[in-house]
Amino acid sequence: MHFVPGDPISGNKAMSIEIRKNLEKKYGLDQPVLKQYLYFLGNMAQGDFGISFTQQNRSVNDIIESHFPVSAGLGILALIFATAGGVLWGTLAALYRGKVSDQLIMFGVILGISVPSFVFAALGQFLLTELNKYFGYTILPVAGWGSILHMLLPALVLGLGTMAFLTRLMRSSLLEVVNQDYIRTAKAKGLNSFRIFFAHELRNGILPVVTYLGPAIAFLTTGGFVVETVFAIPGLGRYFVQATQQLDYTVIMGLTVFYGAFLVGMVVLVDILYGFIDPRISLAKS
Amino acid sequence: MAEVVLEVQDLKVEFDTYGGVIKAVRGVSFNAYKGKTLAIVGESGCGKSVSVQAVMGLIPVPPGRVTSGIVKLRGNNILGLSHSEMNKVRGKEIGMIFQDPMTSLNPTMTVGKQITETLSVHEGIGRGREAKKRAIDLLEKVHIPEAANRVRHYPFQFSGGMRQRVMIAMAIACKPSILIADEPTTALDVTIQAQILHLLKDLQRENEMSLILITHDLGVVAQMADEVNVMYAGRIIEFGPVDDIYYRSQHPYTIGLRAAMPSSEEGAKRKLQPIEGSPPDLFHPPIGCGYFDRCPYAMKICESNEPEPFLVGNNHYSRCWLHHQRSQTKLADFIKQDTKIYKNNEIMS
Repeated sequence: MHFVPGDPISGNKAMSIEIRKNLEKKYGLDQPVLKQYLYFLGNMAQGDFGISFTQQNRSVNDIIESHFPVSAGLGILALIFATAGGVLWGTLAALYRGKVSDQLIMFGVILGISVPSFVFAALGQFLLTELNKYFGYTILPVAGWGSILHMLLPALVLGLGTMAFLTRLMRSSLLEVVNQDYIRTAKAKGLNSFRIFFAHELRNGILPVVTYLGPAIAFLTTGGFVVETVFAIPGLGRYFVQATQQLDYTVIMGLTVFYGAFLVGMVVLVDILYGFIDPRISLAKS
Repeated sequence: MAEVVLEVQDLKVEFDTYGGVIKAVRGVSFNAYKGKTLAIVGESGCGKSVSVQAVMGLIPVPPGRVTSGIVKLRGNNILGLSHSEMNKVRGKEIGMIFQDPMTSLNPTMTVGKQITETLSVHEGIGRGREAKKRAIDLLEKVHIPEAANRVRHYPFQFSGGMRQRVMIAMAIACKPSILIADEPTTALDVTIQAQILHLLKDLQRENEMSLILITHDLGVVAQMADEVNVMYAGRIIEFGPVDDIYYRSQHPYTIGLRAAMPSSEEGAKRKLQPIEGSPPDLFHPPIGCGYFDRCPYAMKICESNEPEPFLVGNNHYSRCWLHHQRSQTKLADFIKQDTKIYKNNEIMS
């Protein structure tokens, strides 16, 4: 990070050498890099990520506290869209395997995986504007932040890629499950197909989807830079990008560590959740 | 003779595959009697499992299809019933257990729940205490120790033999009149095999069930069966009471199977005689006898004429031209050969 030419201070307007020296002293930038790093580690151990170099009087903790909930809310809504949609579409595709509806869904999946989110974001905004114009009032706001209504479209756009991926995962997993011996057993017991699906196929088929949820949560709650920018959402992602551009060392470091910890936490959470769905994987009891 | 519970007539099943149409079952007829055991034996791919799956309506359609046949359960045809009507037969009238207990139970559901599922579908017993009690009773019936505890366990907490017991408990939950066991002991080791077979016999006696046992293990057949169907290439080639099939086998294939069986006699030095060749390609089933290519006694007529079942003893049939009156000299040779096998194979005495 320090190899990148420039530093947080040089982004400001021209200043005299004295002011610069003073600022460097204030932020500790006149110290050797190693010393700065040790200082950072010491503070972090106490839960303090330091203060921002570029934003007046804001600490990194402050930035996380006020903007992470925005990203998290958006991410969780996106996750709900992605999971619900993925399971639903995947199930439909598996039920109608080889039929037209399956092929349509799989076509949508390829689109969802390969088209980047800023394209969907722009398209979504365009469509929404036209709709709002057509009906003469605001059905959903096109951008900005405030109510749950502001979240719907960005969350959908953010979740599309994951939804497409989960659809494919669900479809292949279900197709594997329906050929299992225990489904034949269930048929031999005289269960109807409705019951076989809900009691036997769904729970076994959803396991791979749950496995993927951990990384998906992390991806959605942190990976919304582009969507946040397009929809002018004051999420954490925006600050991350800004900090990188302005070489705001403490913010970059702090957010990276925070994201990392969050990812690990989510994966652990999903692993625990897994134990509830699949009895074969549960915490060992003595 | 006891009451006929299940009557299968001229059952034919085909499968569409990339390579063409496989005629897996080519006209199979048999009866199952109350309280009796009917064994269906034959090598892999001869159509024995497919026949009973067709009876249960478990053939996946597509690619499979039942092209002809009548299956009468106590006089009523059940072949081609709608799904919902068939669901009243499956599990209630006909129970079924499968070959591999490791994969035949749902891994994410407690065994208790899997057992009560059958009860709730057919007898309307829900989730309450009564259902649990019935599940425990059933587990006790199949001799699972600590049944009250075990109902709450998942299949992965059971051994193979125990899982097969759970499968049996599920299959007999509604006291079906017919129990189909599709190679119930193939995946189990020998001591467990004996226990499971013993259990099946006990349950059969208790409920007066008709047992249809599918296996390729002739030892199991000798121990369990009252009557035996020997299947080959999608047809039943010999049928008869178990003693006749073993001591007075008539079809060259059955005799070949017997010669390929090891003797349990101490010090026996007989070499096992394999049956040369391999079964016919069921993509293009032979016009004549299915065993023609491998049969040491094959005659000209066998190549292009399908033999009818000949009555060769009391209730004992064999589909072989050797039993036709015009091939008596050939038959005499054949019997001479057969007596030699008998002499060598002391297991039969």
